[in-house]
Amino acid sequence: MPAELMRESYPIQGGDFDTAGEISGELKTILRDLGIEAGSLRRIVVVAFEAEMNVVMYARRGTLTFILTDDAVDLEIRDDGPGIPDLELAFQEGYSTASDEMRELGFGFGMGLPNMRKNSDDLRVETEVGKGTTVFARIRLDAHE
Amino acid sequence: MSELTHGFRIIPEDCTGCMSCMRACPTHAIRVKRGGATVIPELCIDCGSCLGVCATGAITATTITFAELDRFKYKVAVASPALFTQFGMKDTPAQVGQALLALGFDAVWKYAVDIELIDRAIRDYVQKWPGPFPLISNSCPVVVRLVQVIYPTMVGQLIRIEAPREIAGRELKRHYSQMMGLTPEDIAAIYIAPCQAKTISILHPAEGAGSHLDGAVSISQIYNDLLARMRKAPDGASAGKPEAGAGEWFISGSPEGEFPSLSREHYLPLQGLSDIIKVLNDVEKGKIRNVEFLECHACQGACIGGNLTVENLYIARSKYLRLVAARTDPSPEFLGEVDRRFAEEDFALRAPLKPRNTEGKDVDLRQRVERKKKASEYLKALPLLNCGLCGAPTCRSHADDAAMGRDDIRECVFLSPDRIDVLRDVYRRGGRHGG
Ligand SMILES: Nc1ncnc2c1ncn2[C@@H]1O[C@H](COP(=O)(O)OP(=O)(O)OP(=O)(O)O)[C@@H](O)[C@H]1O
Ligand SMILES: [Mg+2]
Repeated sequence: MPAELMRESYPIQGGDFDTAGEISGELKTILRDLGIEAGSLRRIVVVAFEAEMNVVMYARRGTLTFILTDDAVDLEIRDDGPGIPDLELAFQEGYSTASDEMRELGFGFGMGLPNMRKNSDDLRVETEVGKGTTVFARIRLDAHE
Repeated sequence: MSELTHGFRIIPEDCTGCMSCMRACPTHAIRVKRGGATVIPELCIDCGSCLGVCATGAITATTITFAELDRFKYKVAVASPALFTQFGMKDTPAQVGQALLALGFDAVWKYAVDIELIDRAIRDYVQKWPGPFPLISNSCPVVVRLVQVIYPTMVGQLIRIEAPREIAGRELKRHYSQMMGLTPEDIAAIYIAPCQAKTISILHPAEGAGSHLDGAVSISQIYNDLLARMRKAPDGASAGKPEAGAGEWFISGSPEGEFPSLSREHYLPLQGLSDIIKVLNDVEKGKIRNVEFLECHACQGACIGGNLTVENLYIARSKYLRLVAARTDPSPEFLGEVDRRFAEEDFALRAPLKPRNTEGKDVDLRQRVERKKKASEYLKALPLLNCGLCGAPTCRSHADDAAMGRDDIRECVFLSPDRIDVLRDVYRRGGRHGG
C-alpha cells in the first residue's frame, strides 16, 4: 500500500451553477503546481468535474476528497442525495434525467458517468435510493499515453 | 536554459521599483526586491503587459537593430498585415511596400497566399481532428506560451500548423534563391512585427525547431523612417527592385488569422489575455462544450493592437476595415497559386509543443508535496491583502516563494513591522530614484 502524501476534502454546494466547477478547478491548480504530468492531470480534472457536477445537479450537497499517493490520485465524491435507482442505465451513454434548464446550460448529455469511467483506471459507485451516492475513482500517475 | 530567453529586458538603472509591472503580470512572474524588478523566466509568457505599464521605460523589448540586417545579401520584408493599418486612410499597402524598399529592403513579400494556405490547412485540421476539443489557435506566441505554462493539460489542443509568416519565410527563400541564383542562406526573411512576442519567437524559437524567418524589426522601430519615405516623392532608391509575391495584399479574414469560414456556433474568437484566461479556465474544467475551435489573440484587437504598433487601435481598426472593403475578389491566378501550393506543401509544425513550466519541478513528488504543505502553512500567517510590499504580487505567491526557498516569509510587513523602515529607505521621496 503506497504511502499517502496528501489528503484534502472540500464541501460541494449543490444547485449553484455559478460556482459549479470551482472545486475541480481548485484541485487542478493544486495538482498542476505539484507538477503532476499533463495526461494524468487531465484525466483527474475530467473525473472530478463530472462528479462534482452530478452532485450539484442531482444531490445538492456533498464532499469531494482527494488522496495523493506516490503513484495515483484517489477521488471520493460522496453525497446524501436521492441515489441512483438503476446504475447500469445511468452508465449508458446518453441516459440523463437532467432538467431542460440544465440542458440549456450545456449539461445533461448523459456523458458524465461514461466519461468518468473512460478517464479513470478504476471506478466504483455505491448508491442507495433515498440515502445517497459515493463515487470512488483512481487515476494512476504514470503516463497514460 | 536557452529556451527560456524572453522578449524583454529590465534596465535596473531605470527601474523605480514601483511595482506596476508586478501587479500587471498575468502569470505572477515578476518580483520587486529592494526597489528593483526581476522576472522568473519559467513563468514569463512574453505578453508585454509589463512593458505597457512601465512608467519610466525601464522595460524594453528586445529586437534587432536595423543595422544588424546588413550582414545579409538579400533582404526580403515580410510585413505583418498590421503594418498596413498604421498609416493614413489614403495611404495604400503598395505605398507602404515602396517605402520598405526605399528603406533598404531588396524586396517585399506579399503574403496573402500564405495566409490563405494556412487558413485552409487549419480548417482541414479542425475537420479531421478526433478530439479532445476545443482546438486552440497557435499563431499568437503568447497564447502558445500561456497554454504551455498555465494549462499543461491543453497543450495537445494547440493546433500544430505553422503560422503564415513562417510559411511565407520558407516560400520566399525558395522563390528568391531561384530567381536571383543565390543559396537560400543568402536570402534573409525579415518579419515586420507588431509585438515583441513574435519577434522573440523568431529570434529564439521556444520549441527548438528554428524559424524560417531570420530576424524581426518592430513596426514602431521603423515607423518614422517609413512615414518620411512615404511622404517623399519616389527618389529612385527603390527603382528596379522587384515587388514580389503573388497577387493581393489583403484577403478575407483579419490580420494574421480569423476564420469566417468556420461555423459560428463551433468557433469562438477571443481577444485579450484576461478573457482568454477566463475561457480556458472554463475549458479545463469541462464547462465549455460544443466549441471546436478557439481563435485566441493575446492583444485586444488582435495583431493590430500589438504592443509594438504605433497607431491607436480604433483608428487602425477603421483603416483595416477600409482596406478589407476595398479588396477585390481573389484573382484566378491567386486561387490557382493557392491550390498548387496547398497540394505540394506540408504545413505541419516541425517540433512538438510541450508543457513548459519547469518551475520547482527539480525535486521529486514527495518533496513537492512537502513544499506545498509548507506554503499552505505560511499562507495562514499572511493577511491575504496582496499589498505587494514583500515584493511578490500576492500573499499566495509570497508563501510559495518562501516554501521554495526563494524568499524569506518574514519579508511580509505584517510579520516583521520593522521591514517598513527598510522600505521607507528604499522608497524615500516617492521612488527609488526620486528626490
Ligand atoms: N450523484 C448523483 N445522484 C443522483 N443521481 C445521479 C447522480 N449522478 C448521476 N445521476 C443520474 O445518472 C444520470 C446519468 O448521469 P451522467 O453524469 O452520466 O449524465 P448527466 O449528468 O445526465 O449528463 P452530463 O453528465 O452529460 O451533463 C443522471 O441524469 C442522473 O439521473
Ligand atoms: Mg453528469
